[in-house]
Amino acid sequence: MRSSFFGFNVAVNGLYTAQKNLDVINNNINNVNTPGYSRQQTVQRATRPLNIFDGTGMVGTGSEVIGVERIRDEYLDTMYWSENITFGEWDTKRTLLSELEATFNEPSNSGFTTIMDEFFKSLQELAKDPSSEAVRALVKERGVTLAKYFNDLATRFEELQVDINDRIEATVERINSIGAQIQQLNKQIYTMELDGSIANELRDQRTLLIDELSRYINIDAHEVVVGKLPSGRDDVRMVITISGKAFIDHFSFSKLALIQRENKLNDEDVPNLFDIGWEDGNSLKIKGGALKGYLDVRDGNAGENGSPVYNGIPSYIKKLNRFVQTFAMAFNEGFIDLDNSGSIEDSEKGTGHVDGYGIGSADTGIRFFTMLGDGNKSISSDDFIDGASSVSDIAARYSHITAKNFAVSSDILEDFNKIATSDTPGEVGNIRNLSELLQLRNNDQMFTEGAPEDFMKSVITTLGVGSQQAVRISANQEVIVKQIENRRLSESGVSLDEEMANMVRHQQAYTAAAQMINTMSEIYDILINRVGL
Amino acid sequence: MRVTNTMLINNMISNIGKNMRRMEGYQRKLATGKKIAVPSDDPIVAARALKLRTDVSQLEQYKRNAEDAVSWLEITESALNNIGEILQRVRELAVQAGNSTMTTEDTQKTAEEVEQLKGQLIKIANSTYAGRYIFSGFKTDTKLLDDDGNFVVEVEDTESIIYEVGISDSININVLGGELFNHGEEVIVGQPAKLITMMNEFIAALKSGDKIAICDPNDDLPEGESILEKLDDEMNNLLAIRASVGARYNRLELTIDRLDINKFNFTKLMSENEDIDQAENIMLLKSEENVYKASLAGGARIIQTSLVDFLR
Repeated sequence: MRSSFFGFNVAVNGLYTAQKNLDVINNNINNVNTPGYSRQQTVQRATRPLNIFDGTGMVGTGSEVIGVERIRDEYLDTMYWSENITFGEWDTKRTLLSELEATFNEPSNSGFTTIMDEFFKSLQELAKDPSSEAVRALVKERGVTLAKYFNDLATRFEELQVDINDRIEATVERINSIGAQIQQLNKQIYTMELDGSIANELRDQRTLLIDELSRYINIDAHEVVVGKLPSGRDDVRMVITISGKAFIDHFSFSKLALIQRENKLNDEDVPNLFDIGWEDGNSLKIKGGALKGYLDVRDGNAGENGSPVYNGIPSYIKKLNRFVQTFAMAFNEGFIDLDNSGSIEDSEKGTGHVDGYGIGSADTGIRFFTMLGDGNKSISSDDFIDGASSVSDIAARYSHITAKNFAVSSDILEDFNKIATSDTPGEVGNIRNLSELLQLRNNDQMFTEGAPEDFMKSVITTLGVGSQQAVRISANQEVIVKQIENRRLSESGVSLDEEMANMVRHQQAYTAAAQMINTMSEIYDILINRVGL
Repeated sequence: MRVTNTMLINNMISNIGKNMRRMEGYQRKLATGKKIAVPSDDPIVAARALKLRTDVSQLEQYKRNAEDAVSWLEITESALNNIGEILQRVRELAVQAGNSTMTTEDTQKTAEEVEQLKGQLIKIANSTYAGRYIFSGFKTDTKLLDDDGNFVVEVEDTESIIYEVGISDSININVLGGELFNHGEEVIVGQPAKLITMMNEFIAALKSGDKIAICDPNDDLPEGESILEKLDDEMNNLLAIRASVGARYNRLELTIDRLDINKFNFTKLMSENEDIDQAENIMLLKSEENVYKASLAGGARIIQTSLVDFLR
């Protein structure tokens, strides 16, 4: 025999179920725009039926909500992270290389080609009128412009290197901060889930943090089953590794640390750059993410001295240095490495500025280009050459020139009449020496890449190709990441239409259950108040 | 596939963003007229652009050089022309003087005229172009001859002034004073030029009335020793030099023509390489604008409505 008020209980269960469902829908609607939120769903079932032993069998007792689950495909998260690592790396490279490209400012009417062109044009004018003071002054100024272009380029590259170093510092701090937050969340999630429930929101937050982390560095995140809990559920622990070593292992967290370099990795580097390692002293090899992008561009010198195998800032500074050294040596001394042996032999001495004579005095042995010395003042030809006399000793002096300190010698700056045009003292109309210098522009043996302008063209093309590669890979990767993101949203995102439909469904269920109570109430009213009176 | 509101909005934002980026690209091309802004837009076009720029600017410089060479040669040519006229006049006078009907008074007058002509020759020897002595070889800051017709500078026959008018294409633009005034003999500073010496001999002969020295009517003198024969020799030399200057002038004109054509071709190549087709670009921009408008309109509709709008 069923209890008299059984119907009330069933109707009340219905009210509760509808209410709980509406609560979850309410929560979903609230979080429709919350980043990383996965929609939740109630787990609803019919309550245990009542067995009435009068031959009618089992009588249903209503419904109940036994849990709230988040809808999430964790496999998609893992995919997202691994693709996001690559995206982070190339998107960073793309941004940095486009900054480098802007520094070169080519093709334009104010980049290297124009400056080189103007310099040689002024020399051509000088060849037509070697005695003109106006033209000599012009040659001097154009020479200064050429030198300043390289100084400026090198300075900007160095600034960019320092800037990237700062970004690396900020990123490592952010990674450590994310690590601390994940460690905290791990504790909360583990404690909350001990009773068998699921910490939906906290898990969402953790996934969102790992999403961000995967943009910065190559991580591998997994939940590892280590045993069974007393509740019968798997005892799972979150482990995040970076290049094989645990960054987060359940409740423990190893920080990354910045280590200031004692020795430069590349000769071209600015001093005191940071290396990234573990705080416990272990070394760390970063294989992906924005940090890899930063490191590759900051340190990349095509693999030399253990630098990343990438054409980064040092490799471009190195090329610029090589350009100014080779060009200055050819222009000043006439040394050209004809056999590409990497060194200058006595037989490779041609005619240079040093062999000629200016006007007004019999001075010779003047170098047109030297370098900046103390106080950023250009040094004289004699100070630069420092007494070297053999071809190999003189050639060795040029290794001191860099793009940053490239300059027109103080001799020329003080007296432009020393610009050597003639091969014989006292002949103002003699341009034999200058003619040799003019030939240098089209001397395709000066560099392995060809003439001076070919060399710079190859530098700019290398950068263009590198930057184009970064643009392409990051664009492709962005599409892939977006697609996975879409699949995740498709799986876990809140659909307002769906929620509204469900809302109506549960609202109606609630109304019906309430109506049921009314009906029951009427029945009992009749039974108690009217029957048998 | 299940589609959610966030997806719709994300996709719309991302697609409109892509539209905007493409439009920005076309607009930038429209404004700059160039296919590329940075090398990474197209490294190959960029590399060619750099090369072509260098080529065009070199051609411009070579053309300027060739034009300057032409002006120098024009000055030279006019000096040579004057010398030619002077020698012609001197020859006429020599022929007249050789005529036995001339009186002593006449020959004295002739001597005076020849003296004047000698002065003019010396002035021509010191002609300048933009303040530079054109016949002094490399010593463009010094006169060739002093007032007496003696060499002031030593002009060696290697002192050719060379202008570059192309890659490994150069032209000698000066006529050496030694070759012109001291034909066939070495220049020695302080010594008179051969041409001037001949004038001096002519004047002396006129003053002394030595007709044999002037025109050698009876072949008394060895071959080439008379003033008239020497004059002919000088005139031949002058003609040879004028021919060479003329040939160089000619060559320069051809060079300038060729440089003009090359510059035109290279500029055209440069334009083909890096300039955009404006008509095509505008069309693409317009079509992109339409796509943009459509996606905005579509997006606005999609994100506006949901079931909420119909539950009343």
